[in-house]
Amino acid sequence: MTTKDGQLVIATLSALAAAAVMLLTVILPAEYGWDPLGTGDLLGLTGLSVEDANALANEPGAWQSDAMAFELPPFASVEYKYRLEQGQTLLFEWQSDGEVVVDMHGEPDGAAPGYAESFRQSRGRRNSGSYRAPFSGVHGWFFQNRGETDVTVSLETQGFYSHAIEYSEGRELRRNF
Amino acid sequence: MIRILVQAALAVTLLACASAGAHDLSAGDANYVEQLRGSAPGTFAYLGAKHMFTGYDHLLFLTGVLFFLYRGRDILLYVTLFTLGHSVTLMAGVALNWQVNAHLIDAIIGLSIVYKAFENMGGFRRLLGRNPDTRIAVLVFGLCHGLGLATRIQAYAPRGEGLATNLISFNLGVELGQIAALGIILMMLLAWRRQPAFNGQAFAANTVLMCAGFTLTGYQLAGFVFA
Repeated sequence: MTTKDGQLVIATLSALAAAAVMLLTVILPAEYGWDPLGTGDLLGLTGLSVEDANALANEPGAWQSDAMAFELPPFASVEYKYRLEQGQTLLFEWQSDGEVVVDMHGEPDGAAPGYAESFRQSRGRRNSGSYRAPFSGVHGWFFQNRGETDVTVSLETQGFYSHAIEYSEGRELRRNF
Repeated sequence: MIRILVQAALAVTLLACASAGAHDLSAGDANYVEQLRGSAPGTFAYLGAKHMFTGYDHLLFLTGVLFFLYRGRDILLYVTLFTLGHSVTLMAGVALNWQVNAHLIDAIIGLSIVYKAFENMGGFRRLLGRNPDTRIAVLVFGLCHGLGLATRIQAYAPRGEGLATNLISFNLGVELGQIAALGIILMMLLAWRRQPAFNGQAFAANTVLMCAGFTLTGYQLAGFVFA
C-alpha cells in the first residue's frame, strides 16, 4: 500500500481529533465527572462517575450496641447470634484470653434445622470487622474452648439488630434490645 | 472521507461505551479472589482468559498486529514474541513486587495500538523510508502488556502459598484467552481480505484503530490525573 503524505497527515489528525472530541464531550464527563464543555450535564452523563451510589444505607430501626463475656471451661462451647435482615450491617470485635475455635455463620429464615452458611472457620484469640447479612436470619459466632484451661471470650458489637440468641448447654436464651 | 469518519466515530463510541470497567477484574470476581487462600489454578486460569478475551485494548492491539499477516508462520512468530514479552514481565513483576501505575501502563498500551495502526497505514515507510522491525516492537509491547497484568494480579493474588501455581495458571489462561480471541479476529480478517474492497478499506480501518488507540490513551491519562 503506497500512501500519500497528505492522506496520512489528514487520517492521523482526524483520528487524534475524533479521540479528543469523544474524550472531552462524553468519556471524561461520564468516567471522571470532568466536564470542561458542559456536554456531560447536557447528556446526563456526569452522575455516572459519582462514587459508589450504594455507599449509604438508611436504617429505620434503632441503633444498638452489645457487650458479652462468655466463660468457657475446657471443651465447653457457646453460640451467640443476632437477628439481622438482609443487607443489615454489624460491626464486631471479639477477643479471648486463650485460643478458641470459631465458626462465624448465619442461618437463613426458613432453612432446615441445623442448616447454616459458614463465613469463617478458624482458631484464634481475636477478630474484628464488619458483617453485612447476605440474607435475613440469625447471624453470629460459635466459640469452643479446646484447651486445658478456662478461657473468657468477650464480644462487642454494634448494629441495628432487634434481638440476640445465646445457645449454651442445650439452652436457648433470648436477649431483646 | 466524511462517511468514513462518521463510521469511525460510531465504532469508537460503541467501544468507549462498552469500555467502562471492562478491563479490570469485575467487583464480584475481585471479592471472590480476595477470599482465596493457597493455590487455585482453575480460578486464576479462568481470570487470565477472561482478562484477555474481554480486554478490548488487547483485542485491538491483536487486530492491528494480525491485520496484514497472511502466513501462518508469521502469525505464530508474532504471537510467540508477544507471549514471551508479557510472560517475562508478568512473572518478573510479581516475583520482584513491581508496582507500576496501571493507568500509565494502559496509556502505553493505547499508544501501542496507535503505533501499530500507523505502521499499517504505511506511515513509517513514508516517514522513515522503511518499517522499524515489527518483531522488536511486538516484543516491547508484549513486555508493557505484561507489566499491566503484573500490577493487576498483585492486587488480588494472595502472596506466599500457592503464588507460583496461581501465576502460572493466570499466564496459561491469558494464552488460552488470546488464542480464542485470535481465532475469532483471524476468521473475520480472512473473510474481509477476500472482499475486493478490502484494500480500499484497510487504510480507513486502521485510522479507526488509531482513533481507538488515542481514545484509550487519553482515557487512561485522565484516569492517572483524576483517579
